[in-house]
Amino acid sequence: MTHVRIVAPPDSLQTADAACLAAFQKELDYVYRSLRRLGTSPSEVDDLAQEVFVVLSRCWSDYDRNRPLRPFLFGISFRIAAAYERKRSREVPFGVVDVDDSCPGPDEALHSKRARSLVLAALDRIPLARRAVLVMHDIDGVPMREVASTLKVPLFTVYSRRRKARRELESFIRRFLKEADAR
Amino acid sequence: MSRARPMLSPEILALLDRERNLSSLPATVRGRALVRARAALVAGVAGVDRRAVPAPAAPARWAAAAAAVCILSIGLGAAAYEVRARLARGPGGRPTALAVEAAASVEKVAAPPRAPLASAPTARLPAAAARVDTATPSHVSAARTELRLLRQARAAVAREDYADALPPIFQHARRFQGGRLTEEREALRIMALVGLGRTAEARRAAAAFCARFPRSVLLQAVSQLSTSEP
Repeated sequence: MTHVRIVAPPDSLQTADAACLAAFQKELDYVYRSLRRLGTSPSEVDDLAQEVFVVLSRCWSDYDRNRPLRPFLFGISFRIAAAYERKRSREVPFGVVDVDDSCPGPDEALHSKRARSLVLAALDRIPLARRAVLVMHDIDGVPMREVASTLKVPLFTVYSRRRKARRELESFIRRFLKEADAR
Repeated sequence: MSRARPMLSPEILALLDRERNLSSLPATVRGRALVRARAALVAGVAGVDRRAVPAPAAPARWAAAAAAVCILSIGLGAAAYEVRARLARGPGGRPTALAVEAAASVEKVAAPPRAPLASAPTARLPAAAARVDTATPSHVSAARTELRLLRQARAAVAREDYADALPPIFQHARRFQGGRLTEEREALRIMALVGLGRTAEARRAAAAFCARFPRSVLLQAVSQLSTSEP
């Protein structure tokens, strides 16, 4: 007669949740900053970061631990920011968006002499698809192939977007600096 | 702006270098984000608002799921129509006893008997109404409502319009007594009370907060608030 001993299964769900939460906690600054770079207004960053966590916890099992987490997080943030931007563009004609907390304008950026605000103001004027490539590659230092795979676009498109985005970034920053000099 | 110059100038590269350094978030923002994340895990991620954001690993899964749901709902609709038609017709084209009984039971469910309701004590009515009210919204819409109310309160606190912060806080407390964002709501309540100069109430609320959430990451901020002067 064989005996079957019932053993409680390891609490893998809790372990996975804890690991996901720890990873999110570690990369919280990066998530918030990425959302801001992707055009999220300060008043919405909290809620969108929460959505990033929810999606992260949902697809935590898909994440390959041998790869860096930041591109994975950026992919999630990009999709959430894109959905947010679509929603925001729909809401504008009805005048229900927050008007007090948009991205810092060029004036504010230049007066405060803060390079980060200047970059953020310039980024805000670049269309989201191109901005995402620029942020991932030129700021986060992610290789182009990984950018293409994260954003699910062909490599050629990624190169094309980067080229345009760089031109736009340079143009906007120069324009802001010129406007500041003119005053 | 030249087409033949894809590289960034050293000046812009220097600006991007500065942007690359991440500054640390304020402790309160960090604490709030972690409280929310933990609350989402405790509540179960399935009950949390996801707004149909596709997972990056499986872009085509949602389309397959939507198609399956459509096919299933069409099949169910057709089956329900067929059953209803058969029940209503019966073998000779007349309503059967089963159909009559089913119709009666449907009526019973749809319209509960009036006499007992009328004779019931009036004190029970609000409770019943509240039960219906709380049972109706799904998890998703409840999560959205919670977020919306607290977003309003937080925005009002951020612009130091503390009087405007209290109504959404009270509304949240009324609708979501054991809501997953209770901790954040109570912290906002204390901030609003301190801002309005209602120090005694703020201290009471802070004491209640400490007792209820002794391991909260917002505890330090709340203690500082309640001891500071407005």
